[in-house]
Amino acid sequence: MNESNFTNKFLKVFGIENHRHNRRDPLNILVPLVSIALALILGMIVIAASGRNPFRAYALLFGDSGLIPGGSSWPREFAELLIKSAMYIATGLSIALAFKGGLFNIGAEGQFWVGAIVATFFGYWTPVAHTFGAMYAALGSLGWIAQLLHGAVCIIMGMLAGGAWGAVAGYLYVKRGVNIVIGTIMLNWIAWFLITSWLVTGPMTPPSQTFTSGTFYIADTAKLFRIMMPTRLNTSILLVLIAAYATWFLLYKTTIGYEIRAIGYTANIGMDAPRAQGININRRVVQVMFFSGALAALGGTFFILGMQYQFPNTATMGYGWTGITVALIGQAEPIGVILAGLFIGAMRTGATSMQVANIPKTFSDIIEGMAVGFIAMQVAVRYYLVKIIHHRRARTTPPADQEATA
Amino acid sequence: MKALEVREVSKMFPGNLANDRISFSVEKGEIFAIVGENGAGKTTLMNIIYGIYTPSAGTIFVNEKEVKIHSVEDAIRLRMGMVHQEFMLIPRFSVTENIVVGDEPRKGIFFDYTRAVREVRELSERVSLTVDAQATTGDLPVGIQQRVEILKVLRRGAEILIFDEPTAVLTPEETADLFVTMRKLQEEGKTILFISHKLKEVMEIADRIAVLRRGKLQGIVNKKDTNEEELARMMVGRNVVLEIPKLDVPVGDVAFACHDLHVKNSRGYEALKGVSFEVRGGEIVGVAGVQGNGQDELVNAMIGFSRPVSGSMELNRKSMHMVTTAQLRKEGMSYITEDRARRGLVMPYTVRDNAIMGQHLNKPFSRGLRMDYEKVAEFAEGKVKEYDIRPGDIYDTAGSLSGGNQQKLILARELSLPHNFLIASQPTRGLDVGATEFVYGKLLEEKKAGKAILLISLELSEILGLSDRILVMFDGHIVGETTPDKTTEEALGLLMLGVGIDRKVQS
Ligand SMILES: Nc1ncnc2c1ncn2[C@@H]1O[C@H](COP(=O)(O)OP(=O)(O)OP(=O)(O)O)[C@@H](O)[C@H]1O
Ligand SMILES: [Mg+2]
Repeated sequence: MNESNFTNKFLKVFGIENHRHNRRDPLNILVPLVSIALALILGMIVIAASGRNPFRAYALLFGDSGLIPGGSSWPREFAELLIKSAMYIATGLSIALAFKGGLFNIGAEGQFWVGAIVATFFGYWTPVAHTFGAMYAALGSLGWIAQLLHGAVCIIMGMLAGGAWGAVAGYLYVKRGVNIVIGTIMLNWIAWFLITSWLVTGPMTPPSQTFTSGTFYIADTAKLFRIMMPTRLNTSILLVLIAAYATWFLLYKTTIGYEIRAIGYTANIGMDAPRAQGININRRVVQVMFFSGALAALGGTFFILGMQYQFPNTATMGYGWTGITVALIGQAEPIGVILAGLFIGAMRTGATSMQVANIPKTFSDIIEGMAVGFIAMQVAVRYYLVKIIHHRRARTTPPADQEATA
Repeated sequence: MKALEVREVSKMFPGNLANDRISFSVEKGEIFAIVGENGAGKTTLMNIIYGIYTPSAGTIFVNEKEVKIHSVEDAIRLRMGMVHQEFMLIPRFSVTENIVVGDEPRKGIFFDYTRAVREVRELSERVSLTVDAQATTGDLPVGIQQRVEILKVLRRGAEILIFDEPTAVLTPEETADLFVTMRKLQEEGKTILFISHKLKEVMEIADRIAVLRRGKLQGIVNKKDTNEEELARMMVGRNVVLEIPKLDVPVGDVAFACHDLHVKNSRGYEALKGVSFEVRGGEIVGVAGVQGNGQDELVNAMIGFSRPVSGSMELNRKSMHMVTTAQLRKEGMSYITEDRARRGLVMPYTVRDNAIMGQHLNKPFSRGLRMDYEKVAEFAEGKVKEYDIRPGDIYDTAGSLSGGNQQKLILARELSLPHNFLIASQPTRGLDVGATEFVYGKLLEEKKAGKAILLISLELSEILGLSDRILVMFDGHIVGETTPDKTTEEALGLLMLGVGIDRKVQS
């Protein structure tokens, strides 16, 4: 099957299939770190070349990224960093999980928005909103239970819908042979246009409002708790950490994960080995796409329940695409995805204030891009790292690791 | 003149000394064979000479001059060429494209295909290796693909040729052709390094033979002064008995039966044209035949990879109509494949994880959704000991094991699955004598335990030695059924080629 070949070659380039062999190898962590460091150094050169002061740019970029505590604006920046990161980690996990199964789910973008719109709906839809509203009133000081339940309903429905959206692509792939990349791109656009050109401007918009105002607002009971007043930091970061743990558990502790990885490892050669052992490839592929879609959709529900409280007419695509970056930098491992998501979240938070100082936001995009680029040059980065590390050892002892990839 | 000499060459892999101070030299125009158990370090040594690995220590001399070989390019510049265990051809390319790739004749900046075809034809005529220069490589039989590899190496001017287990994938006729070629190359003054597990072949073609054992050179012997038994003893360190004892086991119930089975191959051509047979408990039924006469399609249908066009199959007297591989496995089918890399093992998975694939849903390896990797590790440790899988670390990836050890891992897994019917498809392909002996022993144990076994093999000695009944396949039909005591290798060989089919052998 061609698409799995494509995906596997792609993954190989980014080192995701290739060096996982030895899970204890410290290079697995070093390579992404060094790639980021190289990107930052090169970024400085680019900024300097454009006639700006790179030190000032980085001082702003990192000073206001929320990573470094201190200053009066830090709590707000910290909150922004975590809110952004939560969404990036969600889509990053989505893509990472699919990668593990040898699938390239470009559809995280669409699944994200499907999750968002469904969460919006269950947030405002009168029968649901009224039920939880009444419950909130009746429970008095225990009203948070109603909030918890309403939030959970929105998130679960959003995830189910996003999962279903992903599973459709999986189904089309196993039953009709529709390439996953093409199928998910198609479904992205279908979701995006259905939502933004119809739902958000038609059936889900309050009749009295103008068409520019987006959907109904969700009920208060559906909003995520805020955990660091007065900032708008909410529970999404905690939820996504749970999701990351669940993803790790699924991959490394369950029978499903065992099968998923076996499929992913053999995707480029037809998956005959797991198939011959009785593993139901088709079912697992659809499942992976479902889980992957649900994770992306989780990010979408954060977007609504934690930030916007409605589906705005101004939403722009990008969360799913960012997820690809996050998954690649994070080497498709849940823990890596968390770190990479925080890194990207920080860059994007800091970029806003860099912009205020007249340094275009593009520079942070360039750095992100270069980090991914260096990861793509994985083999080279590894090779030189190994060389440097082994430099002091006998010259005649070449690193065995570099040969395993040769 | 010494064409090649290695002195004190060592190669250290993490925790594994694959080559330990190996020294030997090869005269120009010599055919020098290297034998050794699976994992002895033969491929590693060749990869060092060919620049794929750098040695941890030691020096290499080519034409009596010390050389540093840092890459394959260096090796090619030194006029070396290697025909790998796994071919490195691009299936979609034509024969010509594959031969000239990397060093194409050009007209200006453009690839001059016509000239390339002409060059390939001239070369193939000169060394009498016949190939169709314009054929698509992927469509050719393995033996011909190997010729393409050899031509590619020769075109780059190789004087020293390395063949890593070239005969493992060949039929006896193709092997004979290859040997003719090798002799011709030898006459032209080329030097050949040749690796094989088949001692009979080594004794036929080599001038001198080096024996490796666990990374060390055991000795170098002249072909004239040695014999198969001695070589086997040097390799394994003890006497090897490939004599297969006759076991009389009461024949049990029918485990597998098929009736008038028709199966199409992946190209839609009917490759199995009405086959009927049965396999009973306690018997080994051998399927003899030249590769490509329907064996693959038969196996694919049996394991649920393809659906027969018509006909029926039964496992333990239950119909196999539309059942899945998982159901067949549950019903008691085990399967040893010859295609270890694709079908047998998930190469990036560890020995531990591979050891239980297929049983991973059963207790104690998992409970509900949860894997119990501690139990898995315990099980894998046990199997590694029982089957002597080397180097023996269950956290090594399957891909880092040598071929023989991969095969032992597959055997360990398949025989520990609950089963009463075993399909063994070329179970000793690429195995050394010791490992072959081991596999034979295991198969006989299975038979003694009353399991039904279908043995598919290209090795007639194996078929004759192990089987209770022999089916001969030719062109998608079973053209004869016989027993080992009523036939000979020669008679079987003729049948396999379709000679005298109309007078079916009556058993
Ligand atoms: N890239 C590698 N990394 C680590 N260990 C390796 C690697 N390649 C080979 N080995 C180990 O080195 C030893 C020698 O392997 P090698 O492939 O040279 O054996 P071989 O003699 O060719 O065996 P076979 O007959 O099965 O092909 C084995 O123990 C193998 O596990
Ligand atoms: Mg080898």
